[in-house]
Amino acid sequence: MKISNEWVNNRENREGIKGWLNPSRYGWERISYWFQRLTGVFLLVYFIGHVYETSSLLRGENAWNAMLEITQTPGGHIFLILVIGTSTFHSTNGIRLIFTHGGKGLGNPGRPDYPYDAISLNYRQRSGIWVALILAAIAMLYGSAVLFSGK
Amino acid sequence: MMFKESQIMKIHYTTGLAALFVVAVHIIVRLMTPSFSLSLLYENVINNYHNIPYSILLESILILIAIHGFNGLRIILLELRQNKPWEDGITIFTIAATISIIAYGTRTILVANWLG
Repeated sequence: MKISNEWVNNRENREGIKGWLNPSRYGWERISYWFQRLTGVFLLVYFIGHVYETSSLLRGENAWNAMLEITQTPGGHIFLILVIGTSTFHSTNGIRLIFTHGGKGLGNPGRPDYPYDAISLNYRQRSGIWVALILAAIAMLYGSAVLFSGK
Repeated sequence: MMFKESQIMKIHYTTGLAALFVVAVHIIVRLMTPSFSLSLLYENVINNYHNIPYSILLESILILIAIHGFNGLRIILLELRQNKPWEDGITIFTIAATISIIAYGTRTILVANWLG
C-alpha cells in the first residue's frame, strides 16, 4: 500500500511532550524510559556548560578561579552530585537498553494470557532498572563524600 | 552521505560505551591527584593540557559525547513530532550543534596546550 506524502506530513504525535512526561499509565519500563531521556537532556546541558566553563582557562587564572567559585558552593556541589547520579543512571540503564535492543534478557515469546503481564518486563529487565538506580545512589553518596569533605 | 536509522543507533550505542570508558579514565586521573580541589588549581589544569595523551583523551571525550548527546536530543525531538520539515530541521540543527561544540572545545584544548 502506498502512503501519500500528505498523510505522512500531517501525522503528528498529538500528545507531544505531555505523553512523554506521563509515566502514570505504564510500569517501571516507562519510568526508566522517561528517566533515560530526562537524564540525557540534563547531561547534555551540563556538557555544554562544562565545555564553556573550561574555556575560561584561556582568559587567565582570575577568570578560571571566578568560574570555579560558582561550583565551590553548596549549591554547586549539589548540582555536581546530581550530575554524578544522573550520569551513572544514564550509563547503566543505557547498557541495559543496548542488551534489550539486541534481544538479550527479554525471555521467550509466550501466549498472551490474562492479566497480560508484559513479557518484556521480566525480572532481568526489572532488576536492571533497580541496579541502575542503586548504582546512581551509591555514586551520589561517594560524590557527596568527595565534594563535601573539603579536601 | 545518508545513514539508516539502524546505523545511527549503532553509532549512538558505540559512542555511548566509548564515552563511558574515556570519562571513567578522565575521572580516575582527577581522583589520582592528592585532593580533588588541588586537581582544579589553574597550574595543574594547564599542566594537564600540556600532556599530549591526556589532551587526546579530552578531545575524544569531546567528540564522543557531542555526537552521543546531540544524537540523543535528535532522537527525543523526533519522538515528540514527526513530519518531513521537522525531521530535516532537527537533523540539520543537531549536526550544526555537534560541529559547533566540537570546534569550540577543540579550540580550548589547542590554545590551552600552547599556554605557558
